[in-house]
Amino acid sequence: MSAANPAISIIRLFDHRYLLGQLIKRDVLLRYRGALFGVAWIFLSPLLMLAIFAFVFGHIFQSRWPEQPDGMPFWLMLYSGLIVFNLFAETVSRAPSTVRSQPSYVKKIIFPVEILPLVPLGAAMVHGAFNLLILVIALAWFDHLFTGILLFPLLVIPVLLLGLGLAWFLAAWGVFIKDMSQIVPLFVQMLLFLSPVFYPASAVPVFLQPLYALNPLGATIEAVRAAVLGTSIPWNDWATAFIVGLATTLLGLAFFNHVRDEFADAL
Amino acid sequence: MPSDDIVIAARNLTKTYRLFGHPGDRIKQFFSLGLRRYHREFTALQDVSLDIRKGETIGIIGHNGSGKSTLLQLICGILKPTSGSIAVRGRVSALLELGAGFNPDFTGRENAYFQGAIMGLDEAEMDGRFQAIAAFADIGDFIDQPVRTYSSGMFLRLAFAVASHVSPDIMVVDEALAVGDAAFQQRCFDRIRAMQSHGMTMVVVSHNPYQIEQLCDRAAVLNRGRMTSLQPAKDALSLYQELVHRELAPSTASVPPQREGTHALYFENVTIDGDQDPVDGAFRTTGPLRIAADVVAAQAISNVRFRFELCSSGGLVAMMSTIGLTEGMKFHGRHRISFSMPACQLTSGWYHINAIAVARNVRLDAWQRAAEFSILLKAEAALNLTGDSGIYVCQGSWNIS
Repeated sequence: MSAANPAISIIRLFDHRYLLGQLIKRDVLLRYRGALFGVAWIFLSPLLMLAIFAFVFGHIFQSRWPEQPDGMPFWLMLYSGLIVFNLFAETVSRAPSTVRSQPSYVKKIIFPVEILPLVPLGAAMVHGAFNLLILVIALAWFDHLFTGILLFPLLVIPVLLLGLGLAWFLAAWGVFIKDMSQIVPLFVQMLLFLSPVFYPASAVPVFLQPLYALNPLGATIEAVRAAVLGTSIPWNDWATAFIVGLATTLLGLAFFNHVRDEFADAL
Repeated sequence: MPSDDIVIAARNLTKTYRLFGHPGDRIKQFFSLGLRRYHREFTALQDVSLDIRKGETIGIIGHNGSGKSTLLQLICGILKPTSGSIAVRGRVSALLELGAGFNPDFTGRENAYFQGAIMGLDEAEMDGRFQAIAAFADIGDFIDQPVRTYSSGMFLRLAFAVASHVSPDIMVVDEALAVGDAAFQQRCFDRIRAMQSHGMTMVVVSHNPYQIEQLCDRAAVLNRGRMTSLQPAKDALSLYQELVHRELAPSTASVPPQREGTHALYFENVTIDGDQDPVDGAFRTTGPLRIAADVVAAQAISNVRFRFELCSSGGLVAMMSTIGLTEGMKFHGRHRISFSMPACQLTSGWYHINAIAVARNVRLDAWQRAAEFSILLKAEAALNLTGDSGIYVCQGSWNIS
């Protein structure tokens, strides 16, 4: 009776929006519960991160990119790319254990299991929002705030879709293969260096560039960076990334729905 | 064609689990596309059909491992049947495991609201119920403490309070009420009765016959994955009792047969015959029973007295009979003696016979546990006979004036 059609199951997800909201709220709150600074960490940790970036890339590794405008600190460009990457990394790294770590949701209560992989995505978006806020403040401080940054939420959609699709896929695999939660963070780490986070895509050797264009992460990061710098956004690459992301989401959900009946047996 | 008031309709439900020896086998199975088998199969539920009408309370009785929980999980939609179909109409609240879905780091209040969210109730709807939940749970200020600090009783009370206040159409309860003290069980019963009167349908699993009889309109016995039809709770309970006794093992292992005496005369064998069931080998409570023995005396011997003792597996002597007609008889060679009863009138269980022969206060042969057998009180017979517990079953009636 589970909907084989991903479109229908996406509509069903909408029915659970209140429950999903509660789950995300719990997830975020639980991370800081009992900590001395409490929820303030949600703000403190990106701030510390940015401070370290400023120190390392502003004073130790001093570097310039060709497209970098005058007066724009290099580390802020890195940071804007990293915000996008972290959205992806947090979602995907946690995905394999989302269902596996909740056997009672699978076996003991009536629960829409398909929303579990959405929780890390939601939490990542909450953290991403605070990262973005800090970025905006920093950009304003250095007088490089452009209206293009308003497009940020729209521009990251391909990465959200990619992360979500992979999250469904990995969550399902994670139920059957425990090793997934060990393997995936390694791949995420690899992707951090294979995506143009710490370097511009233009620095990639020409013969590899078609391959790079296929990575939705790269295209999204480039688009976001263009928006931050106030230069023209490469919409074509972005559109490709969007399509790849959308396809990943639909395939991921279809796969999840295909194997979900076996979750209770495997856990 | 199922009628309108049927809320749970199951047809030929079968659930087979695939057991994998190694986690990797599941992956191999996935990629082998069914060409090879890397698993064993275990059928937890076989060909179960049932119709439950709106407002009914149904009991399912069975041993551990009989498939009760699998059936409930299928009703809840947590598991998908391997074959057959199940249709459930209405919102189901499941109490399969107390406090499943509770997060120990969150407070009782937060967990209550979250359980509500799982059941599709938003904050405003839960606000309206929270007073009643807190009152029922009766845990005072602990409601704002993390649930990991709760005692198991408090945990249970909160879990039941929440599950019973989210206005389910159907409530499914698995053994949940077995824990908790008597006072709390009573409150649960009262709450369940109140919900029953509001037309809630309920499915209860228990191996506590008292609870089934108290709560349920109809019940079914589940044994090794197969289920009897739904029948009045009392009938189902009798059937279950029969099943329990059928599977009781004799307790001979602990006390081996003992034998002593001069053996100037001895029992060659002791046998039981009567109305023995060809399938389970048990004798019937209501059927005739005959204890027979071949005795052998090498030399002529007189003044021999024989005695048969019929004892329950607990060591209780149910019947003791000594023959008094042998004073003047001489025994030499082989003789056959027997004692017959028209009906043994004993309750289900394992029994044994002690056979004793004495001559002028000399013990010739005292054979403990000379024969062992089981008696079964059939369910149909149990309905007409009294004997809730105790060893003697008879046809009796109460009279009050």
